[in-house]
Amino acid sequence: MSAREVSFTTLLRRAGAADPTRAAGLVEEIQEIVGIEFQDPATLVSYLADPDAGLLQLVRLAEAARDAGHVDTLRGLAATEAGAKLGVLLGGSLALGDFLIRHPELLGDFEAWADAPPFPEIDVRAALLEAVGADPADDAPVAAIGGAEGQRAMRVAYRRALMRVASEDLYSHAPPTLMPAVGAALADLAGAALEAGLAIARHDEPDHAATRLAIIAMGKCGARELNYVSDVDVIYVAEPAEGVEDDRSLRVATRLAVAAAKTCSGMGVEPALWEVDPNLRPEGRDGPLVRNVSAHRAYYERWAETWEFQALLKARPVAGDPEVGERYIEAMWPMVWSAVERDGFVESAQAMRRRVEQHVPAAEADRQIKLGPGGLRDVEFTIQMLQLVHGRADESLRVRGTLDALARLRAGGYVGRPQAATMDRSYRQLRVWEHRLQMRKLTRTHLMPEGDQERRVLARASGFATVHYMDEVWTDIRRDVRAMHLEMFYRPILPVVARLSADEARLDDAAARARLAAVGFVDPAGAYRHIQALTEGVSRSAAIQRQLMPAMIGWFAQGADPDAGLLAFRQLSEQLSSSQWYLKLLRDSATAAERLARLLSTSGYVARALLASGEAVTWLDRDEDLVPRAYDRLWGEADAVLRRSNDPPQAITALRGLRRRELSRVAAADVLGMINASRAALAVSHAADMVIEGALRIAQHQVREARGLDALPIRFAVIAMGRYGGLEMGYQSDADVQFVWDGDTKDGQAIAVQIAQELRTLLQKVGPQPPLEIDADLRPEGRNGPLARSLASCTEYYGRWADPWEAQALLRARPCAGDTDLREAFVRMIDGVRYPERLPDGALKQMRLLKARMEAERLPRGIDPRRHLKLGPGGLSDVEWVVQLTQLRHGHAHPELRTTITLEALAAAADLDLISRPDATQLRSAWVLATDLRGALALRGNVRDTDVLPGDVRELGVLAGILGSSLTGSQLDERYSRNARRARGVTERLFFGWDEDAR
Amino acid sequence: MDKQQEYVLRSVEERDIRFIRLWFTDVLGILKSVAIAPAELENAFAEGIGFDGSAVEGLTRVYEADMIAKPDPATFQILPWRGERQGAARMFCDIFTPDGEPALSDPRQVLKRTLDKASAQGFSFYTHPEIEFYLFKQFESGQQPVPVDRAGYFDNVPRGTAHNFRREAITMLENMGISVEFSHHEAGPGQNEIDLRYADALTTADNVMTFRTVIKEVALEQGVFASFMPKPLFEAPGSGMHTHMSLFEGDRNAFHEPSGEMGLSLVARQFMAGLLRHAPEITAITNQYVNSYKRLWGGAEAPSYVCWGSNNRSALVRVPVHKPGKGQSARVEYRAMDSAANPYLAFSVLLAAGLKGIEEGLELPEGAEDDVWELSNAERRAMGYEPLPTSLAEAITEMERSELVAETLGERVFDFVLRNKRAEWESYRAQVTPYELDTYLSVL
Repeated sequence: MSAREVSFTTLLRRAGAADPTRAAGLVEEIQEIVGIEFQDPATLVSYLADPDAGLLQLVRLAEAARDAGHVDTLRGLAATEAGAKLGVLLGGSLALGDFLIRHPELLGDFEAWADAPPFPEIDVRAALLEAVGADPADDAPVAAIGGAEGQRAMRVAYRRALMRVASEDLYSHAPPTLMPAVGAALADLAGAALEAGLAIARHDEPDHAATRLAIIAMGKCGARELNYVSDVDVIYVAEPAEGVEDDRSLRVATRLAVAAAKTCSGMGVEPALWEVDPNLRPEGRDGPLVRNVSAHRAYYERWAETWEFQALLKARPVAGDPEVGERYIEAMWPMVWSAVERDGFVESAQAMRRRVEQHVPAAEADRQIKLGPGGLRDVEFTIQMLQLVHGRADESLRVRGTLDALARLRAGGYVGRPQAATMDRSYRQLRVWEHRLQMRKLTRTHLMPEGDQERRVLARASGFATVHYMDEVWTDIRRDVRAMHLEMFYRPILPVVARLSADEARLDDAAARARLAAVGFVDPAGAYRHIQALTEGVSRSAAIQRQLMPAMIGWFAQGADPDAGLLAFRQLSEQLSSSQWYLKLLRDSATAAERLARLLSTSGYVARALLASGEAVTWLDRDEDLVPRAYDRLWGEADAVLRRSNDPPQAITALRGLRRRELSRVAAADVLGMINASRAALAVSHAADMVIEGALRIAQHQVREARGLDALPIRFAVIAMGRYGGLEMGYQSDADVQFVWDGDTKDGQAIAVQIAQELRTLLQKVGPQPPLEIDADLRPEGRNGPLARSLASCTEYYGRWADPWEAQALLRARPCAGDTDLREAFVRMIDGVRYPERLPDGALKQMRLLKARMEAERLPRGIDPRRHLKLGPGGLSDVEWVVQLTQLRHGHAHPELRTTITLEALAAAADLDLISRPDATQLRSAWVLATDLRGALALRGNVRDTDVLPGDVRELGVLAGILGSSLTGSQLDERYSRNARRARGVTERLFFGWDEDAR
Repeated sequence: MDKQQEYVLRSVEERDIRFIRLWFTDVLGILKSVAIAPAELENAFAEGIGFDGSAVEGLTRVYEADMIAKPDPATFQILPWRGERQGAARMFCDIFTPDGEPALSDPRQVLKRTLDKASAQGFSFYTHPEIEFYLFKQFESGQQPVPVDRAGYFDNVPRGTAHNFRREAITMLENMGISVEFSHHEAGPGQNEIDLRYADALTTADNVMTFRTVIKEVALEQGVFASFMPKPLFEAPGSGMHTHMSLFEGDRNAFHEPSGEMGLSLVARQFMAGLLRHAPEITAITNQYVNSYKRLWGGAEAPSYVCWGSNNRSALVRVPVHKPGKGQSARVEYRAMDSAANPYLAFSVLLAAGLKGIEEGLELPEGAEDDVWELSNAERRAMGYEPLPTSLAEAITEMERSELVAETLGERVFDFVLRNKRAEWESYRAQVTPYELDTYLSVL
């Protein structure tokens, strides 16, 4: 191998050839066929987007030119601008290269362009009509050739013009600048193709004069911003020729329309151009293909849905009878601008946007230039929404094109100048990528390519030095576009609301309110006032609020109750107005502001908790802060407080504050979907454990002081009972407990009762921090018994007197505070009671009777029992009684059953086959759902009784949202009813023994 | 859809309709009607008409009383009995919650939901009911009903009334676009049967509702009284609504298989097996009144035992023989249902039972060739012919345990039906009947 060859392949590699040896061969081949010697082949190659494929195309083209006798033309192009345009075309578009290879006679075009007018000015309609022998001056031109021949002639003429557009596009030094002209040229070309198609159809339709058909383009074609390959959305409208009946006119027009569309999209020798899609017409697929103007109008006046008006925004006559087309536009166009007044406009527009986003397969979302997050659709949607919202009052906004509309929104002060500039730049760049991708094989793609080679070609074609750099820009653009939706939509509300001196965006009051209503605020006037209060003035905080507010408004709008969210935000902000960190955190944190907006607009409970203590806002910035604290850590904190303090009131306030803090933390995490309901219940129970243990220490200290003792002569413990014992406490539950003591002293009982009373007072007394109600009614003898009992007395009582329900209540007994030895002794003592060797005679009957009575008596009056989550059929209590009966019966034989936690006991019973798997599953799902719903109701914080499922389907929908479920309100209702019915069936069988089939 | 709405609006204008009755059905199958003026019609299509649902049996719970009725323009029909011009018309409605979600408690939506399930498996469901009813002379409440054509010795056209009646009724039905297959005088005195032509189940259910109204209307016009009570006369046969059913896959009858036994496909056999398996638990829906069980257990061709047969008139499920080459008409007939059933719910549970059979690939037991009524109890048990519930109380108990019925009706309707039927049973049980007085009063 000679030295020159080595350096040549290296040069070719540097120029971008993936296989330089082969490329070198191809260069040789071209030179040989065409009979020239390239001066600097490597530099030439470097201009090709895809050097390898481009060179191969050039070889094939050279061969075709040679065979057809055009090799001289090809040779003449060497080292000219025309030749350069041919080169970039071959490197950028394989499909158009193939076209040229099919038609080497068109090589002469490249030279001719130099003398022709610039491409945006050529009359493509005339060119295409002439190609099929029709007279462009005629309003209803008829082709001289029809059928397949006409089709072929039209398509060749179309592609010939397309070749010009693509070469100029690829040759341009600033494709984003050229982009609007390219889009307009492509749209005109599509219109011309339809016009020529119609001329051919007329040639084949003897009765064509009976009708005056106009073709209206919608979408991108209508807006003169078409891309290279796209479905062309059309609507057909026809009026009868004079003296012709409408029926006949429509029949003929339908035939013409079908034939014209087929000319563009049907099979043929020369491949199809694109699909013609008439499905945006009234009634979609089911509607007649062609209507007259008044039928169109009647449809839109009566039936059309919101999105159909959005589609009309881009309507423009592109082919056929110009006068009929004009009449159509005159009739329809004004209706677009009143669409926003329709009921449900906002909802359906938002729903549509969500649908579009959901349609993108997740795997592709990141590569979608059009539909993905931050893609073209986002830009278009934002601009169209703004046009629709403000176009009603301001006629200057009534334009079709995206960039044009953006410019006018900016000029009218509806969006800020920097935002408009970013949006404009992003849109153009996205479109350039889309064009380059489609041009390559003339396919309708909107996906960023995956393969390295493909991405390299795209980067080269769109003027990026490296793939890496292109990726960076792509990421930036998507981020900008996403943010820009919020920026453009909400930010301009501020200047008017906050009475700032005229900024670049200048909405008036009415426009600002229109936007607030448009995003879902039920009371835009109220929202306006809140925003005003937050953002008005020259203070530093008002300035930061002005930065925050656009995004915040958007997040509130996504919540269950935007108005309540904004109000709470105003209250919170006013309360924290002097805290330096608050606004700074919201401004600088990546997550805090969004989370805060979600919490405030969803959960009344959390909103109140945050208002009670704003410090909790800081957690929103850090996920670790939203994890419930483990008990040990919590107790560590409480212990430290107690050690530091020798002032009981101050110490108990601190402990109660700790509990309140933990509850807020858990609730926030719960609403944000970071923990589930049972985890939340566990954390809430632990917070109670902590505060009770702490309060006990203080109470013991106080009793000792009061009695002047060095040390207490008794040991003392607190036993958690009921739901608290099962670690299943709700946010607002009381703590069920009983008190036990032990010791050999005569005033032991008095001391113990004093401690218990003291402890209750400490926890329940009104104070700066929320109380924890202590309920000791489950103790022996209930309210009639002494508040605290000695271990010996308990032993005797349970051994002798206890009813079965008391043994059952002990199943949930869990010592939660006090002396460790005593706690253990107590558990040893009650184990004999709650896990008896065999259930005493009559106990089962008594339990059943008691439960039946509770069902009849305990339910509150006036509600549907089925909606009572706790005591209703299939509610929590049903499940728990089944589980507890199993524990009573089998706990002695099976230590696995010995737990106070319902779900653990249920799982153990299923493992032991004491409850069948299917039954256990039904019980479990009913219990979990009821628990989740109670939690959600407490978090929602707008009802007093969290045990009753609301009947309002909207409210149920909000609960489903808190549960992180996608069910609708009715579906949630149905699911609860079903779970509860099944659980009730199991209960009746296993607990009541009602089914004769049961063993 | 929109074309149909336009058509309705045009017709109302052209035919000078003064009232449009919006029809819907409560959970028990009683027709409800809200009248609106033509001017309100456009709004009714767009947004529906709000009404207080708590006034309608089983439709809502009290605290969510507001419901929306949206007329289905495909069911628009001029009512022929309301005068010549300036007439009235009707449309069936779907019921929605104020949020625009389909109301879970609307029987028509229950059927639509079940049909959707079938269509998800590629099936459409066709039915064809044979509706029996009695014609009585006008009577005061408390009197014994007297059938029209056992009128008396001196009536010189004893069979004329029923004949005339049927002719009138059929004309009116055809005027309302309901095709009638067959009509004849039935076994009982004053008893008639009119068969409606095959149609998809939703249309048929709408037609059954219309049919009942038309029959009552025509009877009134002719000075007689029509009743769909399942068993109005102790000694005469009851009024059933034998229902022929088939599933279609596109244009093809999925029950037909030329090489199969009796021309039945595997799908048909599994469908039948599903019907038989679930028959007891759906009986409270297909035979929903206390009185229904008097028909079901009153002999005279009423199917009381769960079995099937070909051309066996004592079987619960019958396979009618179709002519060779008429495979499209392959079908199975369910004979327990009576004329007082809510057709929407009844068709739903029948379809659901059949689909379940297909889903689980149930095996069809052997057919019954004997007259099941002639067998002894022991024989029947030996052959595995289980009885259907013998009373409403038993039927309720069976239904209570049924996942199939709960899933098909939805929890709300399921719960309502159970409560309503329990109350009906309890109030019936408290009665002292003429029978008891006759039998015991003098003797004891």
